[in-house]
Amino acid sequence: MAWITKDSANARIDRRDEPYLSDAFKKSFDEKYAHRYPNRQALSLPILHAIQHEHNYLPYQALEEAAEFLGIGVSDLLDTATFYEEYFLEPKGKYTVWVCQSVSCEIMGEGDVTRAISDKLGIEPGETTADGKFTLMKVECIGACGGAPCALINEELAEDLTPENVLKRLDVLD
Amino acid sequence: MPLETPVLFKNIPTPPWGGFAERKYVDYDAYVKAGGYEALQKGIDDGGEAVLAEVKAAEVRGRGGAGFAAGMKWGFLPPADGEPRYLAINADESEPATFKDQILIQYDPHTVIEGIVLCMLACNLDTAYFYIRGEYHHHRDAFERAIQEAYDHKVFGENARTGKINDRWPRLFLHRGAGAYICGEETGLLESLEGKRGWPRIKPPFPAVAGAFARPTIINNVETLANVPYIVAHGADAWKRNGKGRPDGVPPHVPASFGTKLFGISGPVNRPGVYEENLGIPLKTLIEDYGMGLRDGEQPKAYFHGGISMGVVTQDEVERGVAMDFDIGKKWANLGLGTACVTVIPQRTSMVSMARNCARFYSHESCGQCTPCREGTTWTAKLLQRIEAGDGTTKDLDLLLELASSMGSMPGSTICGLADGNNWAIRTIVNKFFHEFEEKVSQSSSVSLAILNT
Ligand SMILES: Cc1cc2nc3c(=O)[nH]c(=O)nc-3n(C[C@H](O)[C@H](O)[C@H](O)COP(=O)(O)O)c2cc1C
Ligand code: SF4
Ligand code: FES
Repeated sequence: MAWITKDSANARIDRRDEPYLSDAFKKSFDEKYAHRYPNRQALSLPILHAIQHEHNYLPYQALEEAAEFLGIGVSDLLDTATFYEEYFLEPKGKYTVWVCQSVSCEIMGEGDVTRAISDKLGIEPGETTADGKFTLMKVECIGACGGAPCALINEELAEDLTPENVLKRLDVLD
Repeated sequence: MPLETPVLFKNIPTPPWGGFAERKYVDYDAYVKAGGYEALQKGIDDGGEAVLAEVKAAEVRGRGGAGFAAGMKWGFLPPADGEPRYLAINADESEPATFKDQILIQYDPHTVIEGIVLCMLACNLDTAYFYIRGEYHHHRDAFERAIQEAYDHKVFGENARTGKINDRWPRLFLHRGAGAYICGEETGLLESLEGKRGWPRIKPPFPAVAGAFARPTIINNVETLANVPYIVAHGADAWKRNGKGRPDGVPPHVPASFGTKLFGISGPVNRPGVYEENLGIPLKTLIEDYGMGLRDGEQPKAYFHGGISMGVVTQDEVERGVAMDFDIGKKWANLGLGTACVTVIPQRTSMVSMARNCARFYSHESCGQCTPCREGTTWTAKLLQRIEAGDGTTKDLDLLLELASSMGSMPGSTICGLADGNNWAIRTIVNKFFHEFEEKVSQSSSVSLAILNT
């Protein structure tokens, strides 16, 4: 779990003039979700998912706007955002490869699969390729143990991986 | 005796009744055609109290890991006071090696949904949240589709066929998690539902009294609720014919292992997958008849029999008759049945590396609230990394066991059960395979870098 301490005194926050959360976005978001929960803080996870879906990560300015929109403190939203592994506060690759490293996958050869990807892309787990195309993550059980070793490539499940077939799967992505 | 007809997998083709390849999404119409939502109608006709009584009579125990009787939990709710009351369905399924609920979610979501409404009816709950782990993308889409179908056919929403529950039209929403094992712990789940970090709460108050948004809340696992339609439709007695009852002469307050169970099998077997069988099936039968035995050239050494948090059973114990029921913990020195998803550990795999894998998992997933868990899991992981690298000492093994046994809600040093998982996983692996650890530390290869540097 994340214990991120931000060096807030010196950190430069990238800002842009155009808001990340447009009025149209806010309207449709509220229509879809607001009635579901008795308070607005409970909209935190849905809104973080929505922002990340749109921008592929969570820009700090977008978090500020979202917190204001929900009527909660920015620190509260940041607290939530940093706790969960799926949320990225830095840009990540166009494709994120989430390799499962839990027991069934390790037994079935996850180590060789990860090494093959790592060698091919020239990055270690947790890193993103210089061209911004791939991010490699090692994660815990993704609930597809029958097809171990397995990985998620963005939202697509890839099962029964070998060092060879996983590279083929990455090759066809553009 | 093998299971004659599937209960939970009635609509999901599974060997020996069907093949995995035939599995497909069962939509509302297909579900109704197969007799679906008849139990709901019966529940509506008989009333919520009758549903509650039937679930209590069935003695169905929670399928999420702890095995707590669902009917009893439902009975803890305070009387209605006019304010909202919630159901949270636990579809977080993040225990390593566990992949059973996802089959129900993606192929037969209406069985789960029917169980949900029946629970809402029995417990007088107006709003349900289906908390699904963030990584279940395809499953999320399937379940969203089923929810929409359910609203379209007046299972939920205005003018729902149940009428108002707790003075409100019943509602079901999906809530997506974002990658945190601890949100499977029931109060971590509630915090996450409320939009906060998933920090488990100190109990009491229990969720039945003050849960989601400080209101009475029932939390059940997906598979637990999926049993409810059958219980309501056919009665508790019919449901209890499956599984393992109480031996003769055992008093009725002693919990038993009634019903069928979903069992996952993964690791080097010929046919990994999720199967349904009677509780009480020997683990050996499960592996041989359903997993179709180990792959060529592989020999079994041990098993994680219910996710890693329950610990391991050895091949020798399995030969002596380990049965997959709620008494497995007492009989074979482990934490319990857990999720009943089995990982086969072959001879070629080092138990030191399995322990290291488990410890890394817990140290990564510890939410950080309790010192023994936060520091202890990390320390354990580092120790095991060192031992695996051939740089451990015999004293490290004592330390490892002492660390493991001191943490958890059962020793009373932590808030939640995550630390108990670390406790049991590490302790059972080290104790049952002490020779592997001893061997590793006695032939300590390298001289410690720390020593070299001084
Ligand atoms: C660390 C931890 C993780 C858990 N993860 C899950 C999970 O992913 N799914 C689940 O159903 N129960 C999980 N549980 C158990 C729940 O806390 C709770 O007991 C269960 O959801 C209750 O439902 P049941 O009685 O129907 O089994 C977890 C417990 C702990 C301590
Ligand atoms: S035991 Fe561990 S995971 Fe559970 S509340 Fe304490 S620190 Fe968090
Ligand atoms: S252990 Fe890898 S998907 Fe479950």
